[in-house]
Amino acid sequence: MSISSILTVLLYALEPFAWLIVAGAVILLAVHLLAYMRGYQITQYRCLLATGAAALIGLSAFFWVPWLTNSQFTYISTVFDWVAAIGSIIGAFVVAFLLLHPLSYLIRGQDA
Amino acid sequence: MKSYPFSLSRRQMLKAGAGLGASGLLYTSALHANTIDTQASIVVVGGGASGMAMANRLATRLRGGTITLIEPRDTHHYQPGWTLVASGVWHPEKTMRPNSDFVPQGINWVRQYAAGIDAENRRVDLANGESLEYDYLVVATGLQLNYNLIDGMSPDLVGQHGIGSVYASVEGAARTRQAIKGWLDSGEGKGIFTAAPTAVKCAGAPLKMTFTTLTHLEESGHRDAFDVDFMSPTGGLFSQPWVNDFVKQRFDEQGVNRRHHYRLSAIDPQAKQAEFTFEGEKDSLAVPDDLRAGDDNDQGKPTIIADYDFIHVVPPMSAPDFVKQSDLIAKDGPHQGEWLDVDIHTLQHKRYPEVFGIGDVIGAPINKTAASVKAQAPIVEANLLSAIQGKSLTARHDGYTSCPMITGIGKAMLVEFGYDDNFAFMPSFPFIDPKEESWAVWVMKDYMLQPAYYAVLEGQA
Repeated sequence: MSISSILTVLLYALEPFAWLIVAGAVILLAVHLLAYMRGYQITQYRCLLATGAAALIGLSAFFWVPWLTNSQFTYISTVFDWVAAIGSIIGAFVVAFLLLHPLSYLIRGQDA
Repeated sequence: MKSYPFSLSRRQMLKAGAGLGASGLLYTSALHANTIDTQASIVVVGGGASGMAMANRLATRLRGGTITLIEPRDTHHYQPGWTLVASGVWHPEKTMRPNSDFVPQGINWVRQYAAGIDAENRRVDLANGESLEYDYLVVATGLQLNYNLIDGMSPDLVGQHGIGSVYASVEGAARTRQAIKGWLDSGEGKGIFTAAPTAVKCAGAPLKMTFTTLTHLEESGHRDAFDVDFMSPTGGLFSQPWVNDFVKQRFDEQGVNRRHHYRLSAIDPQAKQAEFTFEGEKDSLAVPDDLRAGDDNDQGKPTIIADYDFIHVVPPMSAPDFVKQSDLIAKDGPHQGEWLDVDIHTLQHKRYPEVFGIGDVIGAPINKTAASVKAQAPIVEANLLSAIQGKSLTARHDGYTSCPMITGIGKAMLVEFGYDDNFAFMPSFPFIDPKEESWAVWVMKDYMLQPAYYAVLEGQA
């Protein structure tokens, strides 16, 4: 499969979620921009609560990702299934962390 | 219509908006792929998956010739999604897109039904009385659903009297969902799932409908109140031997009564009765307690009557009548009088070298799936271009086909196989075992195969 073919498939696959991706990206960018303007630095700021909440959201993906895909947790069975499921957990954790970490700074971090 | 490299369609605006400038470069490079100068007139009959893929591929590769696509419909239907519609997983709208999204610029799109093919005179007759002459012809008509071969049955009945049929249309698939739901809501009764005595498109669909309905029955909490029968006109359920054995075993485990050599021959919608003709050895027939023996039919074959609360009808299928009436139909062999007579490897017509066939219409032991079209399109493209240049045909189709066998709502097996070694598996991904039920394969079916299908239509895959 050529790169062109892969891109075509990906574009069709992402098309139904374009609004979600754009909305998510706008929210993430806005939160980060606002936080940076108030002195937030991702490597300097520590917040156990935000990290813990992101980890919980990531772990919870085990349950809601299958549901979101019209399936159920018990159908995760093959090695490939587990790799994909773990990948979705990591993805959910990263997105949650990128949102919650600067948000926590905006709410309480400046005084922390 | 679609244009190269960009037009202002919604789809391509999205592509541009996705920020993938690289794709533009790749399109440009695709335009500079090997093109061939020709004055040939090429007609593609049918704008389904195979016809649209060929129109796009030829539009990219040919310079100077005339390409005509005969396709009357404005809407393209993603038929592999119909089982998900009938199972209540997808909305019908998800399976539809305008054909104009896919028709390439620079070709003639004739919005008429084809009515005949005069192979001797290289002419396609249209429903409006006009005709088109060709130098080369690609027959991509798809197939015809012959509900009329089941006495009392009509596609209009789908959704009424407990009758479902996922094949009828996208509306039929949605009405099938309603018929299944009505049966479930009744809280009990018998459901009969049938198979056809002919080759069918997406041969896994009757099995998938059974499996997804079993999921609903099991989730209802009173599975025992429902009887489920699967009536097969042959001794098997699926062409791939391992999958055939797997499905038989799984049906047995899930309490499905398998009846073999039962062909659906008539239906009485008002009485909710189905008549099956027994196609096995007459002496081997032992009518089960829950069925009744009918009279022997005109050929002296026994018939069996079954009451049902829901029945899933799979009609016999064949090439469209106008193809059957042409000289392009198989004159002998297993596909005689029913399917297009092509070499199953080169996909060139056996008697008319300027004619190629692709998709559901061809006479082949397997291969009536969209995945087959993905494999066949580059073969037909290469061999047609070789024919135009007077070269020998070297591209060969290995029979690749694929069935994401849904074994329940939420899980599936990626079954890929080909002609050779008794339909041996041909897995595309080393990390997906075709013998394992998988959540990830279900996700592929639910989310990724439709995008891959559209890429095939665009000639990109």
